[in-house]
Amino acid sequence: MISQVFILSSKGDHLIYKDYRGEAGSDVINIFYEKVTALTGDQPPVVMSHKDLHFIHVRQEGLYWVATTTAADSSPFTIIEFLNRLTALVKDYCGSLSEKSVQMNFALIYELLDEIVDYGYIQTTSSDVLKNFIQTEAVSARPFSLFDLSNVGLFGAETQQSKVAPSSAATRPIQSSREGGKSEIFVDVIERMSVVIGSNGVLMKADVEGEIRVKCYMPSCSEMRIGLNEEFSIGKSQLRGYGAAVRVDECSFHQAVRLDEFDSHRILRLCPSQGEQTVMQYQLSDDLPSAPPFRLFPTIERDTGGRLLMYLKLRCDLPPKSAAINVCATIPVPKGSVSLSQELSSPDQSAELKLQSRAVHWMIPRFPGGTQLSALFKLEVPGLSSASMLEVGPVGLSFELPKLTVTGLQIRFLRLSPIQPGPSQRWVRYVTHSDSYTIRI
Amino acid sequence: MKADVDVFANVTQSKDGSKNRVWEGTKAITAPCSPVTENRQFGSKMTDSKYFTTTKKGEIFELKAELNSDKKEKKKEAVKKVIASMTVGKDVSALFPDVVNCMQTDNLELKKLVYLYLMNYAKSQPDMAIMAVNTFVKDCEDPNPLIRALAVRTMGCIRVDKITEYLCEPLRKCLKDEDPYVRKTAAVCVAKLHDINAQLVEDQGFLDTLKDLISDSNPMVVANAVAALSEIAESHPNSNLLDLNPQTINKLLTALNECTEWGQIFILDCLANYTPRDDRESQSICERVTPRLSHANSAVVLSAVKVLMKFMEMLPKDLDYYGTLLKKLAPPLVTLLSAEPELQYVALRNINLIVQRRPEILKHEMKVFFVKYNDPIYVKLEKLDIMIRLASQANIAQVLAELKEYATEVDVDFVRKAVRAIGRCAIKVEQSAERCVSTLLDLIQTKVNYVVQEAIVVIKDIFRKYPNKYESVIATLCENLDSLDEPEARAAMIWIVGEYAERIDNADELLESFLEGFHDESTQVQLQLLTAIVKLFLKKPTETQELVQQVLSLATQDSDNPDLRDRGYIYWRLLSTDPVAAKEVVLAEKPLISEETDLIEPTLLEELICHIGTLASVYHKPPSAFVEGSRGVQHKRLPGSAGSGESADSPDTGSAAGVSEAPPAVIPSQGDLLGDLLNLDLTPPTTSGPPPAPSSGMQMGAMDLLGGGLDSLLGGDLGGSPAMGAGFGAPPTAMPASFPPPVSGGLDDLFDLGGSVGMPMGAYSPPKSIWLPAMKAKGLEISGTFARRAGVIQMEMTLTNKAMSIMTDFAIQFNRNSFGLAPAGPLQVLTPVGPNQSIEVALPLSTVGPVMKMEPLTNLQVAVKNNIDVFYFSSQYPISMLFVEDGKMERQVFLATWKDIPNDNEAQFQIKDCHLNSDAASSKLQGSNVFTIAKRTVEGQDMLYQSMKLTNGIWVLAELRVQAGNPNYTVSLKCRAPEVSQCVFQSYEAMLKN
Repeated sequence: MISQVFILSSKGDHLIYKDYRGEAGSDVINIFYEKVTALTGDQPPVVMSHKDLHFIHVRQEGLYWVATTTAADSSPFTIIEFLNRLTALVKDYCGSLSEKSVQMNFALIYELLDEIVDYGYIQTTSSDVLKNFIQTEAVSARPFSLFDLSNVGLFGAETQQSKVAPSSAATRPIQSSREGGKSEIFVDVIERMSVVIGSNGVLMKADVEGEIRVKCYMPSCSEMRIGLNEEFSIGKSQLRGYGAAVRVDECSFHQAVRLDEFDSHRILRLCPSQGEQTVMQYQLSDDLPSAPPFRLFPTIERDTGGRLLMYLKLRCDLPPKSAAINVCATIPVPKGSVSLSQELSSPDQSAELKLQSRAVHWMIPRFPGGTQLSALFKLEVPGLSSASMLEVGPVGLSFELPKLTVTGLQIRFLRLSPIQPGPSQRWVRYVTHSDSYTIRI
Repeated sequence: MKADVDVFANVTQSKDGSKNRVWEGTKAITAPCSPVTENRQFGSKMTDSKYFTTTKKGEIFELKAELNSDKKEKKKEAVKKVIASMTVGKDVSALFPDVVNCMQTDNLELKKLVYLYLMNYAKSQPDMAIMAVNTFVKDCEDPNPLIRALAVRTMGCIRVDKITEYLCEPLRKCLKDEDPYVRKTAAVCVAKLHDINAQLVEDQGFLDTLKDLISDSNPMVVANAVAALSEIAESHPNSNLLDLNPQTINKLLTALNECTEWGQIFILDCLANYTPRDDRESQSICERVTPRLSHANSAVVLSAVKVLMKFMEMLPKDLDYYGTLLKKLAPPLVTLLSAEPELQYVALRNINLIVQRRPEILKHEMKVFFVKYNDPIYVKLEKLDIMIRLASQANIAQVLAELKEYATEVDVDFVRKAVRAIGRCAIKVEQSAERCVSTLLDLIQTKVNYVVQEAIVVIKDIFRKYPNKYESVIATLCENLDSLDEPEARAAMIWIVGEYAERIDNADELLESFLEGFHDESTQVQLQLLTAIVKLFLKKPTETQELVQQVLSLATQDSDNPDLRDRGYIYWRLLSTDPVAAKEVVLAEKPLISEETDLIEPTLLEELICHIGTLASVYHKPPSAFVEGSRGVQHKRLPGSAGSGESADSPDTGSAAGVSEAPPAVIPSQGDLLGDLLNLDLTPPTTSGPPPAPSSGMQMGAMDLLGGGLDSLLGGDLGGSPAMGAGFGAPPTAMPASFPPPVSGGLDDLFDLGGSVGMPMGAYSPPKSIWLPAMKAKGLEISGTFARRAGVIQMEMTLTNKAMSIMTDFAIQFNRNSFGLAPAGPLQVLTPVGPNQSIEVALPLSTVGPVMKMEPLTNLQVAVKNNIDVFYFSSQYPISMLFVEDGKMERQVFLATWKDIPNDNEAQFQIKDCHLNSDAASSKLQGSNVFTIAKRTVEGQDMLYQSMKLTNGIWVLAELRVQAGNPNYTVSLKCRAPEVSQCVFQSYEAMLKN
């Protein structure tokens, strides 16, 4: 049960405060802020307690979204999930998520909070249902409303990945020459891969987490059918079709998805609600259908002048038609590294030494499949010892693979019924991000 | 989504009968105020942020004027400003009447804003809140279901007693409203009202209506009714409010498929409280809950996991379905790890519990717990912990390779934990120990300061687990001596040097180097250093005499720390009195450390499993540990298993068996592990052989006895042993000397009976009496006595097992007492005591324990532990036990002392019916270390002047007058501590008559 919900700016200003159960006063806001700012690095910040009150919070867009509870049996899981939904709702309703947009739309947010939670019990977080109750209209800093399409991004990219891989493809719609207000539907297939390649070049771990997201701006669509590859199979034993199987280990669906045609034809049926939703999530572990997209061949030695030489060859094993973009390799270097000189194989690449994070960042804006790039880094490290050579590595890669899914999952078709009157547009987009791509040295 | 839509389709349907959902619905609601919508658009062009501008003086007045404006739009803007001020914490309660005036409006948006204000300020303005009641009641009759629900919801949130009376009628109507949106709001309102006035809710019969709502046709109403009932039921633990029977469970399971994700959570949590009648019902519930595992909302998944984990206990383990269920649980748990870091963290804390309870679920999923470089540190640490729990011989190579990588990462905290994890692997998986050690050595070679220190700390633990196996690495460790700057690492290194002093050529130099800055070290290091040097001395006495003297004097003379000083004295005395014994004590074999030291204690684990998904599972503490008051602190237990027993549960996984069979000992949390290992080393200094039950659990348990148990005993239950009470029953201290003590008759009898047992020569020892009757100690009977034999005080006991089962693991502790009596070693009961078996034990006592004055002075409170329980009793020892052998005073000194002690300190007693002559008395007393210094005969009366010395150095002088032919003796006692006189007199009487 949720006792209070409040939203704080990163500086601790009170933006929204809603008390549901009268169990604690508003003074706890400041207590929370003191606690959360006093935490040290290794203390888990998720759940904190003050006397009988437990704070549970998430951080989104620099804001603290906090819920408090007093009941021991309340579930932090539920509350975190709820807070994440709340941020998504506020984003859907206000257009964007920032201190300013929250401040400007406080009346709307209060109204939302009133409808989605009653006496601490979560009622609904579905935008479809809420639409019937919400009266206040959003105020936006930028000139667009909730259903203005100019803020439509590739949704998965806006959560965790925006920090790692700023993706132009992900934030910009494929075609920008659209008039607002047209009915449109977006289906995005987003995959995140975690890979560990050992120092001997052996693939030690490879996981893919994927999801299909739908963002719908189609007021009169009662049902849509999404067809996946027919050879799509779940679990280890099951194989379908004649071609190479597209296989995942585990699959979960949004509860509005009807699966009666899934087993036979791999078709998902659903009635999309306005706004954004994750229709299907899946994952694949330890069994990539193709080679991992990048391999690294490092040579690390000490030259006669006591400098650290790192000669790195990076190969992209994607199909030749594809390319990775925004590739960034992070190479941890020994403590006390002072300066870096570099020789890169093409002019569009760049590299710099970040002293704060003790790492060299090697940036490659575009990396076509089947090619190889190399870089020579010379590091000035006073007092370089053989032990400090061990501090080099492991190399972390972040990148983005547009128009590609590593599992091979494809959308065969996207059908809407009834047939849409007037012009409507359907978009299907694919992208694969690095979640954690580590190459050990 | 579909379900959500269906739920509230009626909202709009009831209004105009159309089934069009989206836009039409909104229009229907706003239709009555269509003129306003234009205004609204005008208003919304101005951004709301202007409401947050700073307060000026006349602002309240301005707002007042605006609130009373005729224009609706202006009113609305004003109310918004008021609410903005309210949010940032300004007091706008003065505007209460003006805001309430705006309440009567047909504009829903304005109404909502006013209600928001009311909820905040009604409590501080209860009288004015009444003004709003009429509007509320009216709104509850409004044709628009949104307004009806809004009114009921807001009224419930206004926690003012007076309002609640007016709430009842509208609430009753709303509970039966035709619109499900109103009904579900009303259901929650019952819970709100119950919180304010429980009696009212019962009197008005709302609870029955609420129960009826469980069968409502709308799943959202059902979910809210269940949530409200569950909460109300918590405050009435015995009421049968939420009567969970197979029929209601069936209804809930049906609703489960239809309601929203949040409703599913309420229902699943409610199901978790149900106990199925048999395994068949359990299975059928599991089957219907299992589909929830693939829900997209991870909170639903975790609630389903909780239900399944609980109901699984009921299923027979040989059932096929049981195995299927186990397999089904793994994928959703793994899926939870792909969520946001906050959710991942909570998931990992829960998985940690699940892995301890049922390791078989995730035993093949080791890889998903490997850390990613971009995980937040708190997620990394949790993953590490789970990796170790899942480590087994099958996957240890993989785990070690990972851990080694982690140990070279950048984050210091994480690296430390990773190094420690390698050590835990070595201790957990014996086959991997060698690889772990070599991995640790590799890490030491990096010379990264904190890595080296952590490695040394864990290597010490590995030595404790596998003695005499990996000592070859000591040389490498010694090379890094200089880089150690953390107390824990220094202490560990010193321990290693001391323990293996005979193999380290320059051990004395190494230890000496630490000694230089002795006073700057932390206590942990000082204690270790003291012990290590003593060990070194015992191993190489010739070269290190100087060193040991130096450390002993540093510890005993220059230190303020009582622990250090005491330990120093113990070693000093040991070494000076009996070097052989010292060797046995200090170099005694140490118990091996156990491998599963960091498991959660099984009963706690069971309770936590019942709380999966809740706060308890994140804190890893039972709710009672962090919640005050009654709500939600009932201890939950897993249901018992039908079919085959728990021990047959999982023979294939060693650690699983370990979990279920672990002794219910106090298990230190992971962080304390090292501290405890060191403490283990502290305890044996007084050991004269290997302790009987070498488990850390026992040691901890014994420490605990002293901490809590005995102290609480101090207050009341002194008569723990009725036999003692009768035997030594404490006479009042100020008893007139001429009076015979009333108990002396009883004593006589007792001693006569025991006469044959007592030794004719030598010290007096009372006969054994029952200290702890069997009925008070679950079948354990203890009788015993005290004796002084060859200068050693002994507690001689007979332990009789009058129970049906075998007793083992005996241990003993004393509470602090007047003369610092303490066991000089552990209780030596080496064989288990079978039913109806007795065993004689002699426990040597020392007098260097902690001192606290007892009443009566010679009272001794004892705790005895065995495998069954801990028992407390108290007994009294004759003070003659404490008379030391060198208690003979020089004559001159005696005279001087006698004169010196003021006459107020003299106490006179009479001993009746004693038929010994003075010489016989003298020799008898001498056997108990009462020395006759001089004898004078005056007028046929023999005057014996006697002295005795107590272990704590107190002298007692006595004058014993014996008149031939008169069986009554007179004793005069003089002592600087007159409170002992009474006890000494009792001893005289006992000694002479024995």
